[in-house]
Amino acid sequence: MNRTEPLAVVDRTLAAITRFERPDLDDRLRHARSRLLDDRVRVLVVGEFKQGKSMLVNGLVGAPVCPTFDDIATAVPTHVRHAEKVTITLVRDLDPAGPDPAQRRTERIEVPAEELAAHVCEQGNPGNREGWSHVEVAVPRPVLSGGLELVDTPGVGGLQSVHGAATMAALPGADAVLLVSDAAQEYIGPELEFLAHAVSVCPNVACVLTKTDLYPSWRRILELNRGHLATAEVDAELFPVSSTLRWHAVLESDAEANAESGFPELIGFLRKRVLGQADRLARRGVAHDVLAVTEQLVGNLRAEQSAQQNPAEAQRLMRTLAEAQERATALKERSARWQQTLNDGVADLNADIDYDLRDRMREISRMAEEEILAGDPAKAWDQIASWVQQEVASAASANFLWATQRARWLAHQVAEHFAGDRDQLLPALRNDPSDALRSVRPMAAPDRSPVGLGNKALTAMRGGYGGLLMFGMAGTFLGFASIINPLGIGAAIMMGGKSIGDERKRLLTKRQNEAKAAVRRYVDDVTFQVAKDSRDRLRLVQRDLRDHFTAQAEQLKRSLQESQQGAERAVKASRGEREARLAEIVTALEQLETVRRQARALLPAPVPAGSPARPREAVRAG
Amino acid sequence: MSGTVTTAARRVLLLAIEAHRDDPATTRALHAQLARLDEPLRVAIAGKVKAGKSTLLNALVGEQVAPTDAGECTRVVTWYRDGPSPRITLQRKDAPPTALPVRRRDGALVIDLGDVPAERVDRLTVDWPSQSLRVATLIDTPGIASATAENSRRTVAFLDPDDDAPTEADAVIYLMRHLHAADAQFLESFRDRGVARAGAVHTIAVISRADEIGGGRVDAMFAARGIAQRYRADPTVRGLCQNVVAVAGLIAETGRTLRQTEFAAMAALAAEPKADLESQLRSVDRFLRGRDPAGRRQLLQRFGIFGVRLSTSLIRQGASSPAALATELVARSGLGELQRVLQTQFMQRRDLLKARSALLAVDSMLRSTQRGAALRHDIERILAGAHELAELRLLATLRSGQVELPKGAAAEAERLLGDAGASAACRLGSADDATPDQLRQDAFAALDRWQRHVVNPMFSRNTVDACRVVVRSCEGIVAALPAPGAGHGPASGGVHRPAGTRG
Repeated sequence: MNRTEPLAVVDRTLAAITRFERPDLDDRLRHARSRLLDDRVRVLVVGEFKQGKSMLVNGLVGAPVCPTFDDIATAVPTHVRHAEKVTITLVRDLDPAGPDPAQRRTERIEVPAEELAAHVCEQGNPGNREGWSHVEVAVPRPVLSGGLELVDTPGVGGLQSVHGAATMAALPGADAVLLVSDAAQEYIGPELEFLAHAVSVCPNVACVLTKTDLYPSWRRILELNRGHLATAEVDAELFPVSSTLRWHAVLESDAEANAESGFPELIGFLRKRVLGQADRLARRGVAHDVLAVTEQLVGNLRAEQSAQQNPAEAQRLMRTLAEAQERATALKERSARWQQTLNDGVADLNADIDYDLRDRMREISRMAEEEILAGDPAKAWDQIASWVQQEVASAASANFLWATQRARWLAHQVAEHFAGDRDQLLPALRNDPSDALRSVRPMAAPDRSPVGLGNKALTAMRGGYGGLLMFGMAGTFLGFASIINPLGIGAAIMMGGKSIGDERKRLLTKRQNEAKAAVRRYVDDVTFQVAKDSRDRLRLVQRDLRDHFTAQAEQLKRSLQESQQGAERAVKASRGEREARLAEIVTALEQLETVRRQARALLPAPVPAGSPARPREAVRAG
Repeated sequence: MSGTVTTAARRVLLLAIEAHRDDPATTRALHAQLARLDEPLRVAIAGKVKAGKSTLLNALVGEQVAPTDAGECTRVVTWYRDGPSPRITLQRKDAPPTALPVRRRDGALVIDLGDVPAERVDRLTVDWPSQSLRVATLIDTPGIASATAENSRRTVAFLDPDDDAPTEADAVIYLMRHLHAADAQFLESFRDRGVARAGAVHTIAVISRADEIGGGRVDAMFAARGIAQRYRADPTVRGLCQNVVAVAGLIAETGRTLRQTEFAAMAALAAEPKADLESQLRSVDRFLRGRDPAGRRQLLQRFGIFGVRLSTSLIRQGASSPAALATELVARSGLGELQRVLQTQFMQRRDLLKARSALLAVDSMLRSTQRGAALRHDIERILAGAHELAELRLLATLRSGQVELPKGAAAEAERLLGDAGASAACRLGSADDATPDQLRQDAFAALDRWQRHVVNPMFSRNTVDACRVVVRSCEGIVAALPAPGAGHGPASGGVHRPAGTRG
C-alpha cells in the first residue's frame, strides 16, 4: 500500500502548524503519523488441517517460508511480512496476563532459516511444547510490501480444537481471512460454521479452493461451495488456486503456469480489496485529522483577520466568540451524557459477559465432574484434560467474540450522541484476543503412580499383623501352642487383603477428588483470567473513547480561546502592527489551505448516498 | 470355531420366538435375527463426507456397484449383498418396498431414487451376484460431518442409535483422510455399552484417498503408510480401532475393474515423450487440454492424476498387458493389506461377531417386551461366560489401557487372544510352517508363562483376571492341537469350551 502520500501530507501539516505552538494539535497529528507507519494489514490463513494452508502462503510469497510436510505440519502460527533482509524470529510471551497488550514483555529469539522447520513443525515441536506464541518471518518480497502480513495458522486438531478457538479469537484483529479448503470435497459443517462467524467480525472474508491441479472436478466443487455459501448467506469470494502450479511457475519463471495457478487473481484480491480498503481507511483517517486540526487554526486566523481588518467590529466578534466558547463548554457537558451511556453500557456489558462466561464454564465443570466420577481418573486423565482444555478454549473464544461485537455496538451507541457533529470518527477499538489460556497453569494431573509394591506390602503387613495378633492370640486359647497358628495366619491373610482393598478404594476416591479439584481449579483460573482480561479490555475501550472525545472538546475550546485572544490583541494593536499581522495571517492561511487541499485529495470521490459504509470503517479509522 | 456361542445364540432365539408366539411383529424381528446368523457378516463402511466410502466399496466388490461422484453422493444407507440376479429394492418408511430398475452407465450401476425424497427412504438394498459379497454384506452409509446435517444424521442413527438398540452392522470399516476430532468422536460412539462391550474389536480405520497425500506424488503411498504407522502407535487411536491401514481407493477400484480400452489409452499416453507428458500432468486442466479431452476426462475420473502418473510410469517400466497393470495397481493401492486385515480381524471372527449382534438384539427386544426374564438371564450368562466374547472384551480393555500388564506381556497377550489371527500359529506367534510338535511346544511354553502370571502375588486383581483369560486361550490352543503322533492335521486354533462355564 502506498503510504508515502498520506505521510507527506501529515509531515507538511506538522511543519505548517509548528508556528502556532499548539502541542495538543501536534500530538494529534503525530499520533496519526505513527499509526500510518506501523499499521499492518493482517491476513489470517485458516482452515482444517491438510488443506494446503502453508503451501498457499508459500505460493503467495513465492518463497518457502512455511515448512510443508505430508503429515500434519504446522504447530505454531507463522507471521510472514516484508523486510529488506530475511529474518526469522521466534516469539514467546513472558507475561501474557499483563493488563495492557502494548506493555507485554516478549522474548524474541532470532534463528537461522534452516532451523525454522524444527521449531514450527509438529515433528520438531509436537503440540508446540516449546511454547512459542508465534514465529515472525520477514522476507524481501514485493507482494508483502505495503504492510501485508500473512498469518499461517496451525491446522492441528481442526477448526473445532484449542488452536481453532485461538484462531477464532484472533478474527476481530484481522483485516482479512482466507478460508482454505481443498478441491477434494465441498464444505463440511465446521467450515461453514467458521465462515458464518468470520463474516460477522471480519471485514474481508475470502474462500480459497486449493489443489485444483489434483482434482478433475474442482469446478463442480467450486459450484457446490458457491451454493453452500449462498445457502448460509455468507458473502465471500471464492478463488480456485493451485499451489503446485504456482510453485512450478516460481521455480521455472513460467508465466503461463502462473496464470493457470489462479494466484494472480488471489493476489489481486489481497492488493485491491484488502490493502485497498486498509489504504482507504488510512487515507480517510489522515484526511480527517488534518482537516480537523487545520480547520481550528484557520478558524482562529479568520477571526483574527476580520478583527484586525475592522477593529470596530472586534467587540461584536468577541461576543460571538464568547458564545462559541459556551458551545464548546456545552459540548463538554454533553460529554457527561455520552459518558453516562458509555459507563452504563460498559457496566452492563461487564455483567453480561461475566455471566455468559461463568455459565459456559460451569457447564464444562459439571460435565467433567460427571465424567471423572464415572471411572478412574488416573486412566482417562489425558482424555478428560484435553477435552476440558478444548471446551474451555472454545467457550473463552466464543465469549470473546460476543464481547467484541457488543463493544462495537456500544461504541456506535455512544457515537450517536455526536450525530449532529459532522461525521464523527471513532477511535480504533482494541480487540487483541485474550491470551489467558496460555498464561494459566496447566491442569495438575491427579497422582497416577500405581501403588508401589513396597507400599502394598506394607499395607498388607499392617492389616495382616493386626489379624495375626488378634486371632493368633485367640488361637492360643484354643490350644495352639504358638501365636503363629493356622487361625492367626488365616486371619492375617484375610485382613491383609482387606486392607489392600480398602486402601485401593480410598486411593480411587482420593484420585477422583484430586481430579475434580484440578478441573475446578483450572476452570476457575481460566475464568478468572479471561474475566479479568475482558474487564481490562472494556476499560481500555472505555478510556479510549473517553479520551478521544474529551481531547476533541478540549482542542475546540482552546482554539476558541485563542481566537478570542487574537481578537483582543487586534483591538489593542497599532496600525503598523496590524498591517504586519494581516500579511502574516494571509500567508499562514494560504499555507494551511494548501495542506487542506492535499488532505482532501486523499479522500476518495464521494460515494453516492445510500451505499452504507461498513460499520468497521467507522470503528477503525480515527 | 465359535460354534458354541452361535449354537447358544440360536437356542436363545428359538426360545424367545416361542415366548412371543402371540406377538407377530416381535416374532418376525426375531426370525430376522435368526436368519442373520446364517447370512454373511454385515460390514458397514462409514466415514466423513467424501472420504471415499463408495469407491472403497467398489474396490472391495471388484465392480462399480456403488455410484460415486465429485459432490456428496450417497444420501441413504445402501446395502450390497450377494444375490442370484441384480436387483435393487427401495425400502420406504411409509410404504411397501418397491423395486427400482437396474441400469448401468459406462459399466457403473446407476441408482435413481426417482421422486422419492431421501428422508423417506429407510434403506436401499442392492442384490448383486458377486463372490466378494458372498462372505460379507457391505453397507454404504452417508458421510458424517456433512454440510447437509440430515444426511449425517441418517448415518449416526444407523450405526449408533440413541436408545440401547444394537446397531445393524456387525463390524465397521471407518474411513478418514486424517484423524479429525469429528472422526475420534464418532469412533468413540462405537464403543458398545453393556456386557458384550467389545469396543474397538469390530472397527478398522482406513486412511482413504491415500494417493492424494503430498499432492499426488508417485511416492504418495509411502507417505500414507508412514502416517498409518503413526496412527497405529497412537494410544488414543489404538483404543478406538483394531488397526489402521492406508488405501488408495480409486486406484484399487480402477485396478480391479480395469478395461482394455483404458489400458490402451494409458499405453498411448506412456508412449509420449516423458518431459512432455510430465508437463501435461502438472495439473488436471493442462492434461485435459491435450488430445481427446473427453477420453482424458474419463481417464481422470477413473484413475485420478496420481493414477495416470503411476500407470504411465508402470507401463514404461514394463507392465505390458491390462492384467499386469491391474495387478500392479491393486498391489500398490494397499487394498491387499486391507483385505488381509479384514480377513484376520473380521472374517475369522464372523460367527462370533454375528452371534454377539444377535444376542444383543434379542436382549434389547426382550427388554422392551418385558417377557422372558429367564431368557435374559441366559443371555447374560452367555455374554458374560463365553470365552470367545471374554477374549474380545479383554482385547478391547487391553487396547484402551484399562488393564496394565507388564511390558512385553501385553503384546503377547493380544496375540494369544487372537488379535493378529485366530489360527494357532498366529496366536502363538510361531512360523507359518511350524509342525504340530513345535506348535505344541510353543503352546505349552505360553501356557506355563501365563499360569505363572496368574499366581504372581504382585499383580492386581484386574491383571490376574486378564491373565486367567489368556491362560484359558492357551488351554484352548493346546486342546485344539492334534494329539501327539495322531497325524498332521491342519493346525487350526481356537477354543472349544462349553459356553457358560467360568475359568
